[in-house]
This record gives sequence, C-alpha cells and structure tokens, in this order.
Amino acid sequence: MKKTLLSLSVIGSLMAGAAFAQDAEAFRDGFIAGNITWEDVQSRAKEEGQVNLYYWGGSDKINVWMDSIAVPALAAEGVTLNPVRITGTKDAVDLVLAEKGSGKGLGEGSVDAIWVNGENFATLKRQDALMGAFADKLPNSGNIEWNPDDPRALLNLRDFGVETNASEMPWSGQQYVCAVNTGRVAADVAPSTFDGLMTYLAANPGKFTYVKPPHYIGNTFVQAALYAHNPDGNGAVPFQGSIDELGAAELARLITPGMEYLKALEPHLLGAAGGNARYPEDPKALDGLFLNGEIDFSCQFGLYGVATGLRDGTYPEGAEQFVFPEGNMIKNKNYLVIPGNAPNPAAAMVMANYMASVDSQATKLEIAGMPPGIDPWKLSDADAAKLDAASPGLIGVTQADLDANTAPDTNATLVDVIEATWLEYIERNSSDSIEAIVENAVANLK
Amino acid sequence: MPETKELARHRRERVWMWIQLLPVMTVLIVLFGGALVLGVAQSLGFAPWFGVNTFPDFSYFAALWGDVFFWKSLGLTLYYAIFATLLSLVLGILLALAMVRTFPSKSLYKYLYKLPLMIPYTVGIALAVIMLGNGGMLSRLMAFAGFIDDPSQFPQILKTHMGWGVIAVYVWKQTPFVALTIYAVLLGMGRETEEAAAILGANKRQIFFQVTLPQILPGIISSTLIIFAFNIGAFEAPFILGGGFPDTLPVVAWRYFNDADYTLQLQGMATVVSIALVAGVILYSYLAFYRRYERRIGRN
Repeated sequence: MKKTLLSLSVIGSLMAGAAFAQDAEAFRDGFIAGNITWEDVQSRAKEEGQVNLYYWGGSDKINVWMDSIAVPALAAEGVTLNPVRITGTKDAVDLVLAEKGSGKGLGEGSVDAIWVNGENFATLKRQDALMGAFADKLPNSGNIEWNPDDPRALLNLRDFGVETNASEMPWSGQQYVCAVNTGRVAADVAPSTFDGLMTYLAANPGKFTYVKPPHYIGNTFVQAALYAHNPDGNGAVPFQGSIDELGAAELARLITPGMEYLKALEPHLLGAAGGNARYPEDPKALDGLFLNGEIDFSCQFGLYGVATGLRDGTYPEGAEQFVFPEGNMIKNKNYLVIPGNAPNPAAAMVMANYMASVDSQATKLEIAGMPPGIDPWKLSDADAAKLDAASPGLIGVTQADLDANTAPDTNATLVDVIEATWLEYIERNSSDSIEAIVENAVANLK
Repeated sequence: MPETKELARHRRERVWMWIQLLPVMTVLIVLFGGALVLGVAQSLGFAPWFGVNTFPDFSYFAALWGDVFFWKSLGLTLYYAIFATLLSLVLGILLALAMVRTFPSKSLYKYLYKLPLMIPYTVGIALAVIMLGNGGMLSRLMAFAGFIDDPSQFPQILKTHMGWGVIAVYVWKQTPFVALTIYAVLLGMGRETEEAAAILGANKRQIFFQVTLPQILPGIISSTLIIFAFNIGAFEAPFILGGGFPDTLPVVAWRYFNDADYTLQLQGMATVVSIALVAGVILYSYLAFYRRYERRIGRN
C-alpha cells in the first residue's frame, strides 16, 4: 500500500512538473503571439511569486538602487525580486546552458533574467537559449524605439552586430568616455587622437594604461584603436559584419595597423619603464590608478562615471571628461534577457516591464548613474524632463560633443578573434604575423 | 579458552578503529580522491559535458609543456614559493630563539607576534596594496616629506615579476607560523643540552648548529612543508600583487577556466594537474631526503 502511494505520488509530481513545463510553454507562445493580456501576465506573475535576476554585482551604486528601489517597487506588484549578484556575467550564462544541457526547459531552470550584452548574448542566441520576442510586447515597450526605419533604433535592434529580435529589453545605454585628471594635466593638453596620445606619452612616459583584454572594457579600447587605424579609412563600418562574412584574411588586413599601433604604444604605458607594462585587470583597478595620480587619463564605459565618481570620491578632484578618440567613441546598450528555461517567465516579464518604466530608469540614473536604456524622443515632454532632471550631468563635454563622435560596437563574432589576437600579439609578444595569428584564432573558435 | 577471547578482543578493536577512521577516510577518498581522478581525466580530454571526449588525449599537456611561457610561469611560481618559504624559515627561527629568552613585556609580545596568523591572506594583500603600492601610504609619506616629487615615482614594489609584494605577504603571514611551531619544539626540549654544551666550551655558533638545530629539525621540516605547499598553489596574492603576464601557474589556470571558450577549461585542468605534479614531486623528494638524513643520524 505504502509503495503504491509512494509511486503514485512520484508519478503525480512528475506529471505535475511536465504539465507545468507545458503550461509555461503555452504561456510563452500565447504571449509572443499576442493572445495573452497583460492582466493575465500580471496574475500569473503573482502566482509565480519570485523572479531571479542575475547581474554583475560589482557596483555598490547599482546594488543600492536594486535593493532600495527596485525590490520594493516589484513587491508592490506582488513579485519578489531576488537579485543574484555575480562577479562575471558568464557565470549566469554557464548556469543557463548547463541546465539546458541537463534537459531543463521553460519553467524548470533557475535563472529568470540576466543583465547582458555582446558576446554573452551572442552565446545564448547561438545556443538557442532565449525565451523569445517579448521585449516589444511589454506595456512600457512604447518607451523604446523599435522602428527599423529610424537609424537611432539600431542600438535596440542589434547588440554588438547581433540581431536582438526583441528577445532582450534595452536597460541602459553607455558610451566609452575618457577622463583627464586636470589636477595634473590641463584639460586642453588631453589628446584627442591616438597619435596625440602617443606624442603625449613620449613626453610623459607611463602616465596611461588601459584595462587588460579579454575584459570588455579593455576590448573596447582596442576596438576604438582598430577603427581609428582602419587602412580603408572607413572606421567602424567593416567591423559590423560577422567573421563568416568578413573572412580571416580581410580581418587581419583591417586590424594590422591598429595592432601595430598598440604594440608601439606598449613601451610608453604604465610600468613599461620598469620592464613590463601594467594592464589593470578591471575598471576598479583602473579607477584606483587614476585616483592615485599614477595615470593621467582613464578610459571606460560611463557617460556619468565622472559625475558619480566625483560625488562618491572614487575619482580625483578635477577629473573631467574629454573627447577621445575623435569620431570613435564606442556607444552601445546593455539589456535584460530572459533565458529559454526561466523558471518564472511571467514574473520575469513584469520585472522587465518595470525596468523599462520612466520611474525606474530615472531613479536608476540618479542613484546609480546608469544612463537610460529607453529612448527620450519616445517619451512625453514631462517624462523626458524627469529623465533630464535625474541626470548626474556631463563634466567637461557636452552631449553634442559625444553625439558627434559616436561609433558602433564591433560584431560579437569579431570580438573573440580580436581579443585572441591581442593576447597573442601584444601580451605574449608572438613573432608570428598578424595574418597567421588571426587565422589561427578563427580556426580555434570554430 | 583465553586465546580466542584475546583474538575476539583484538578483532573488536580493529573494527572500532575502522569505524573511527571512516568519516575522515570518506572525505579524503570521495572528495579529494574523486576530484583528483576527475581532474586528471579532464586534463586527458574527458569532458562530455562540454561535448569534448577524446580520452585519453595527451595533447593538452603537450600544448602546455611545449609552450615556453609555461616554463617561465613555473619558474615564477617556484621562485615566489621557495624564496618566501626560506625567508619565513630564517625569520621564524630567529623569532623563536628570541622568544625562549626572557625580556621585558614578553607576555604581551607572545600574543602580538601571532596576530598575522589570525588575519586572512586577503586582508594581508589589502594591507600590502594600502601600504606598499605606488598610491599607498609609504609612497605618499615619501612624497609628503619631499624625497620624491609625486607618489608614482616611489620604487615599484607591487606588480613586478620580482614579486616583492607577493613575498612580503607570504613572509608576513608565515613567519609567525614557523616561529610558533619551532617555539613549541624549543620549549619541549628545554635548555639543558645547550647549557651542557656551553659548559663544555662550545661557542654560540657551535651550540646552534650542533645542538639546537638538529633538535628543532622536525619542526622546521613540518612547517616548511606546509607553507611551501600553500605557496605553490596560492592564487590571490600573485593575481593581485603579481606582475601580470607571464603569471604564476595557479593564475594561468584561472585564466583558462575563466575564458569564454569552454574547451580551454581542459587546458586549465592540465595546468592544475601540472601544479599538483610539480608540488607532489618536490614535497615527496624533500621528505624522502629528510627521512634518509634521520636514518643516518640514527633517529627513526
């Protein structure tokens, strides 16, 4: 008797699990097809009760915003936001793929949403681990430009050259901006081109360095250098295609002058006089060098990084932003993606919808200094003004300066190759030609 | 029949001994042994969960050992580990010898010298960054006092391949450990043999090398064994305070594990297995050498 009961309950729970998974898939398909109203999503989200958001937890300011603003706001909607802070986004992607590999489908995994962009999104998409086109169907998706005829929509439609297909919701937009310590160097001495940087460092050796690739902050500096030294003179344009479209030989030709520049730059970087150039591991280490006056310029993503850094003392007094490199200040967005095996898909959508609201974007901007991911021209005047008022402000540059020097990010498939080439050609000081290194890197990544 | 009774008692004791050993054995065999087997298997190409299964495949080791930077990394790893161990040993012995003497405020000092033992390595590393870095306290004080124009001119202690920062943290943390071990041995052996040698006309040098040193040797061996094994496998200090590429082997392994390319994890596992091999060979020969010495002087 006991045995029968036990086996019955086992079968029952298995069936319930299967039924729930089926039910989650029906819900997803219905929502994407537009057959499920937002009220139904909200009531299902309340049933699910919780949403697990995995995100890089290295910024105290973002963590404070998350805990003090986002958690209570979602609690008001009946959803418990569980912020899972990770040291690298790849950890969450690994978890999703491992669970997918062990056969866990929608409704059965453990990650509801991840803060991602670039290679991590490309990996999820390549592995077919996305929930689907939800982002343009949220009530607040009207705050985002989805019209492909508007060139400004490109940042929402493509993530590092990879089509998003609305499977991720733009959360924040960033631009790669450099800061100068005017306590040490006059703002007008700050170089605006890579040649200018080289000249400056020849006179002031060791007063600059950049974050070490494969960290994306370092990759972006390398990409900007490659754009500026593009032998065809058309900057970022050829870097938008995938490696399959471009081919290894063509990529090698395009990046050779830029890589040679970076190699020539190395003997002038921080610590190079003592024998080995020092590349900091992450932006925190770079901030430390800048704050201590060990370097005069510091480059990283952060439109409002200087304003918020001055506010909390992580930037030296007198830090100002400046335009560098002219015409090649890389701009991109970062997103919230819902993986294909999210345990609480409805709650994840309610969370994403909240994150796209003007209120959450404005408080996030004010407290965490994270630029909005929604597009101001889609907002009412009152909402746009609210967003403006929340901005910590630019220091030393104007929005027009930044807009005039914008460049897009590099295609995600090229980023891996460029990063491998940097490691081989610059770090390991390989004697192979760049063509051989690129060809090798492309073959290894296949 | 007293003999069978004796036998039964003996058997009971044996069973009881195995029961006592069981928890520790389980942990050792399952957790440590299992991880070791899995690590070796992965380094030989067994990782079906990444879609890689070419077991047995020595190409990961061949690629690793065929790379000149692997040997540079190994050299750096051994240099930090050995140099820090020797320095801690010398300072630890001096400290222990000083501790057996009486001096004012000894009771306070007896607690004070153990302080680094209780502080985690990461805190020690943070202290090194705060004190010794180019933006650290020392450099700022020097700049403030006018010896240098600006803190960045302070000689670079951290982030060089000389590894002064790494070694400083190891020595700071391990000297008290060596001293503690040897101090305990010194207390146990008493002063009688040393005094006898002095009365018989031995000078200080002779007393140390011929009377004290042979007696504290077991303490020296066990403490250096432990700190060397730690130093060769430690990750944080060389990662944060080391000179960057070429990194020490544990950092190299970490970089492989952290790469977006999953297949590199097998290369990382080959690196970890290499560290274990090198450490195992060195520690085993060290012990074997010591045992031979002990037999030669007639100890067992």
